[in-house]
Amino acid sequence: MKRLSRLSVAALGAMLSTVAVPALVASAIATQAEAATLSGGFDVGPGGFQGNFNPLAATSGFTWLSVYYEPLITYDEKLQKVVGALASSYEVSPDQMTYTFKLADAKWHDGKPFTAKDAKFTMGLAMDAKTGSVLAARLKAVSSVVAPDDHTVVIKLSAPSGSLLDTMTKVMMLPEHALSSIPADQLAKSTWWSTTPIGTGPFKFTKYVSDQYVELAANTDYRGGKPALERVINRYFANPAAAIAALRSGEIQFTYVDSNDVPTFKDNKDFKVIEGDSFVVNYLGFNHDSPIWKDVRVRKAVMYAINRDAIIKSLYGGAAKPANCAYVAEQLIPQGIDNYAYDPEKAKQLLTEAGWDQINGGKPITLLTYYTTPLATNVLAAVQAMLAQVGINIVPRAVDTPTYNSIVLNATPDIAQFQMVYAGLQNGPDAGSINVGLNEKQIPPAGPNVARVRMPDLSKALDTALGEPDIAKRDAAYQDVCKVMNTNLPWATLWVANRYGVVSAKVKDFVWTPAPGGGPYQADPQKWSVAE
Amino acid sequence: MLIALSMLIFLMLRLAPGDPIDAYIDPNIPMSPADLADLRSRLGLDQPLPLQYLGWLQQALTGNLGYSIKRLDQPVLGLVLSRIGPTVLLMGTALVFAVIAGIAFGVISAVRRNSIADLSLSIVALAGISSPAFLSALIGLYVFSVRLHWMPSGGMLTPGEEFSIGDLLHHLILPAALLSVAQGALIMRYMRASLLEVLNQDYVRTARAKGVHKFWVIAKHALRNALLPIVTLVGSTIGLAIGGAIFIESVFNWPGMGLLLVDAVQTRDYPVIMGATLIIGACVIVVNLLTDITYAVVDPRIKVG
Repeated sequence: MKRLSRLSVAALGAMLSTVAVPALVASAIATQAEAATLSGGFDVGPGGFQGNFNPLAATSGFTWLSVYYEPLITYDEKLQKVVGALASSYEVSPDQMTYTFKLADAKWHDGKPFTAKDAKFTMGLAMDAKTGSVLAARLKAVSSVVAPDDHTVVIKLSAPSGSLLDTMTKVMMLPEHALSSIPADQLAKSTWWSTTPIGTGPFKFTKYVSDQYVELAANTDYRGGKPALERVINRYFANPAAAIAALRSGEIQFTYVDSNDVPTFKDNKDFKVIEGDSFVVNYLGFNHDSPIWKDVRVRKAVMYAINRDAIIKSLYGGAAKPANCAYVAEQLIPQGIDNYAYDPEKAKQLLTEAGWDQINGGKPITLLTYYTTPLATNVLAAVQAMLAQVGINIVPRAVDTPTYNSIVLNATPDIAQFQMVYAGLQNGPDAGSINVGLNEKQIPPAGPNVARVRMPDLSKALDTALGEPDIAKRDAAYQDVCKVMNTNLPWATLWVANRYGVVSAKVKDFVWTPAPGGGPYQADPQKWSVAE
Repeated sequence: MLIALSMLIFLMLRLAPGDPIDAYIDPNIPMSPADLADLRSRLGLDQPLPLQYLGWLQQALTGNLGYSIKRLDQPVLGLVLSRIGPTVLLMGTALVFAVIAGIAFGVISAVRRNSIADLSLSIVALAGISSPAFLSALIGLYVFSVRLHWMPSGGMLTPGEEFSIGDLLHHLILPAALLSVAQGALIMRYMRASLLEVLNQDYVRTARAKGVHKFWVIAKHALRNALLPIVTLVGSTIGLAIGGAIFIESVFNWPGMGLLLVDAVQTRDYPVIMGATLIIGACVIVVNLLTDITYAVVDPRIKVG
């Protein structure tokens, strides 16, 4: 037996040495995060866009892009008003047709001055769909852009537009001297974006390691002051859970987190939870091409049958506001709208009056969604159970985003595949954002009104609000939109939930908000710092 | 064979709902369908399917696998080639772990048949074989990285640090060890069975009768013959290991082929999916060839050619 054990020991020794030796070597040189570096999952979650470097093609990801690029104007930290960024000030003419921007004294990361010519050049790129710009359609109202001097840019419109300022916050300024030699249709394919981009922001691009991270270094010449940090690193993660693991193990100091992960951080003094309005209204969209939803009493029954307060309390931990139209912001809610308090008896009664047994009865109704998070799964299970109580039999089907889009944006859709959708749509900071999901003119293929809402009153109210240049009157116009939605129920509006980020308690002066598309907003990255 | 594979992948991809443009749109912040149609036609996605495939094949035969749709500035070939290194490193290390641990524990188990050591190793192996890669990966991540802080939670190198072998190994060990679990457990079970069989054969008894030291009986006489099925096993589990690597790479953000492929599937990046599967397919064929050659080394009765 003794001899035999020699063999075992030899085998065991060989096994252990392969595993243990490198582990020891590695742990001896275990790396420590430098205090002057902030690492985060800036592109994790719905506001992020990992792997995108081109602001012209960005549908989201502005939280990160605006650390090294800057727009002329941006939102304030609370997303309540538009403030200057590269423009030190701006003016809108009384007829809302002329926008004049006064530019700040700024320099590109290569030291060359930023001038009005750059701003004009950038507008040219953003308005040209050939560059792959996703802003082109939104800038259609712009008739001319002129640069009367180096510090002034004047944008003229062909018709007043309530959303121009909002769109301008997404136009990141680009350097003419670096990009003018690239033909417009080659611009999107250029390697410039991910290798040598320059902006005017507080940090400058230094390195991108494919699918791993992007590294920025302090722009010591930044006009807003020398950044406190030396480096900012944006780590890429396959999902929020992976980012949370890195946050807990101390490898990163910040990430977006799904709301069901928040409780695990709430009482931990090593972390700070940041909470903010998602500006996304969640709704059950009735497919108006399906005959089963024709009767408004049926749609009302859906509203009364769902106990939104209970779902918000138990699944969202209270961090959502019930929505009785697309909006929850006070200035957009008119007096005296119905709040559809939970009332299953009333729901049953409405269904009986409408003759639900003849319309559909207990036949299964497909509810399509692109939300695949555990939270959404639980929400839909609750909604399914509540609707079943009153005799509406929905069957949730969660698919990935490409599948969802291919079904709902189809010009000749198969109604059976989505008699109902569970979706979200941006409802702010520009209240006009919801137009695309509700206006009759936006029914696919023209636009993304995926519920095929055909309500002339609603389209008219939206058109009026969009064309209203005066801010106070515009809010009143959106109140009308809210009222029509509340009465006619194009959707069963559910709630506007909060979204969350978690930051290490060591990080100081950090500004983050879960803005739709990641912003941009005034984050002042030059002030961020990490304590030892 | 590769052409048949590419055709199959192409067909399966196009049968899946949604295309790269559908993946590009954020349903919360939609884009105008006119712009989308324009993007589609620029990518050639509006052409009939056979034309799209033939166009791709024609280019592929000249060595051009096209450009990634999601990463506009990157050719697929370069992208895929840059990912082979990390994947081979991960799978290679895992294979070394699996083979060494599997053979060592298999031998212990066989030699000490029916002992407590044998029983406990068998239980561990059963657990190893039955736990899917994504489960062991998540448990390992939670225990060693989140709880114990021994290993980094993901990535191949510490962002912002200069390259060092130590840093690489520090990131490599956990995913490689977890990837090796299932394969190692399988090898152990086979090794045990195979060695037990050999140990009962006449020539082993003869060796023992001659008074050869028990260690040498096993190390020199029995082990070599018992290894033959293991070579077959290792060769045939490479495909399985690639599947495991895809999970492990996703969980640990390891920048290899698996992560690339998962990301490409999620964004319906057709050229990248085609390129990556083609090259993985080629690798599997080469590995099978290598396995056949290894037989000849282990078993002199088999001659190459």
